[in-house]
Amino acid sequence: MAKAEMKYDTQPENEEHSSLKGTLASVFILGAILVVTWVGVYFLYLDRF
Amino acid sequence: MLKASLSSKVDPRDAKLSMAHFYVAFTALLVGGLAGLLQVLVRSGKFQLPFGIGYYQVLTVHGVLLGLVLTTFFILGFHLAAVSKTSGTLTNKQRTVGWIGFWIALVGTVMAAVMVLLNQASVLFTFYAPLKAHALFYLGLTLVVVGSWFNSAVIIMKYAEWRRANPGQPSPLLTFMALINTLMWCVATIGVASTVLIQLLPWSLGIVDTVNVGISRTLFWYFGHPLVYFWLLPAYMAWYVVVPKVIGTKVFSDSLARMSFILFLLFSIPVGFHHQLLEPGIDPAWKFLQVILTFLVVIPSLMTAFSLFATFESFGRSKGATGLFGWLKKLPWGDARFTVPFIGMVAFIPGGAGGMVNASHQMNQVVHNTIWVTGHFHLTVATAVVLTYFGVTFWLVPHLTGRTLTKKMNKLALTQGILWAVGMTFMSGAMHAAGLLGAPRRSSFSEYGGAAQAAEWIPYQIAQAVGGSILFIAVLLMVYIFINLAFFAPKGEQEFPVGEATNQAEKAPMVFENWKLWLGITVLLILFAYTIPFIDLIQNAPPGAKGGRFW
Repeated sequence: MAKAEMKYDTQPENEEHSSLKGTLASVFILGAILVVTWVGVYFLYLDRF
Repeated sequence: MLKASLSSKVDPRDAKLSMAHFYVAFTALLVGGLAGLLQVLVRSGKFQLPFGIGYYQVLTVHGVLLGLVLTTFFILGFHLAAVSKTSGTLTNKQRTVGWIGFWIALVGTVMAAVMVLLNQASVLFTFYAPLKAHALFYLGLTLVVVGSWFNSAVIIMKYAEWRRANPGQPSPLLTFMALINTLMWCVATIGVASTVLIQLLPWSLGIVDTVNVGISRTLFWYFGHPLVYFWLLPAYMAWYVVVPKVIGTKVFSDSLARMSFILFLLFSIPVGFHHQLLEPGIDPAWKFLQVILTFLVVIPSLMTAFSLFATFESFGRSKGATGLFGWLKKLPWGDARFTVPFIGMVAFIPGGAGGMVNASHQMNQVVHNTIWVTGHFHLTVATAVVLTYFGVTFWLVPHLTGRTLTKKMNKLALTQGILWAVGMTFMSGAMHAAGLLGAPRRSSFSEYGGAAQAAEWIPYQIAQAVGGSILFIAVLLMVYIFINLAFFAPKGEQEFPVGEATNQAEKAPMVFENWKLWLGITVLLILFAYTIPFIDLIQNAPPGAKGGRFW
């Protein structure tokens, strides 16, 4: 069984199978939300104080 | 041994102890939710409370029941079930200690609740001095904390027993997580116990005339910030360990999960000053130090976000998903045990973003004491955390009562989650917006003498009333689902989902179980962050406040 898994692991379509590119994109989007929120309130702060 | 305990059900005797906690938690949800509805209606300006009931009385009921009672009782019940499931059935002695803790906490809750309902303790859930409540209110809160310590002892005893029986082995992940939350709670509650027993109770009884407000607030927030992580970590337990099993995949990384929990233990406590950034009596340098420590908590939060995205993507791709976000479509959206906590995860993104604004020292001036802050914690604790608790309830309660979650109940649970999301979008969104326009929190309806600025807030207050009303319908649905799962759902076997790590061969490093090390660093960080500010607060104390009842 281990052998079968090994073989499966090396198949080219496995690139797509184990890819975490969606995770990378998601964390970048999350980071962008954090930055935009923070910068938005930061400019409000500069404007008011 | 691990495998055998994982495949078994929670023992019925332990189940009974957990369920006792859940009955209290969901009673609190119903009454506290009703108080929340009354509040948003009053703040819309279109409704007045009957029978001379005060706004601040209702506000206290809402905050104490939902912020303190619902959360604490749910967490204690969940910890007990999780530890019993993953480390084995409690011994009779452990269970007895658990029951003693439960009854002490329940008596304390009833004492505090009666004082609040009699309008003898309308001091809000933060009970800041110089607002002076009836002594029984403080005594009641003390008993809740003491009761929770008995429950903490059960978790610690069970963990120690497991480690003795399995030398050299890392503890089961859920037990490890429950233990970290328990240890954090024990260290944190020293602060609230100190202010209540040394300051507030003697002052309320008339033994001393005045109270040092700065110190009592500092001790409160020494406890108050880890309190919010005490609420959050059980949700993380479900996100890291339960949700992967529910969707049919494995825990992305056992070690990463343990590492993030350790970081929460270290960085959750020496950060209370970020709630006191605009208070006098604390040197700005010490505030800034605690701001830095606060931002270190962002690290385990982002580790969690990464780990969850990776869990979902790996699962979707194993089902043949393609493209950048194709994996999202493969997730089991029809399963309330997944979807309701997922809504909570999404809410935690703007919740976390807002939290970074709150903690940013000078920028805190923009939002301090505005209803933005209320909007913030309704996204974090009142959405991310409680929707995850509800997601846990959907399988845990039937598991404990020997019943099943039917298709019909699952559908109702999904409706409940969606209603909550819609209601909270209106309510919390309007709170954030009004807060940025300067609307204060903790205040009843007022036109402030016809001020133009106050008039700007009113449309948002109406939006809050709309959102709050939708949320109350969701509360009623949740209570109905709970009663069904506890008493009426068909008999059967409901799974307690516990995910396994992707790489079973790779044992979690044993250094994670070295409590001398982690508790040692925790204590050092606390001493570093708090010792000199405390000396300052005591040495340069202003005359104490006499305080009293202002309601």
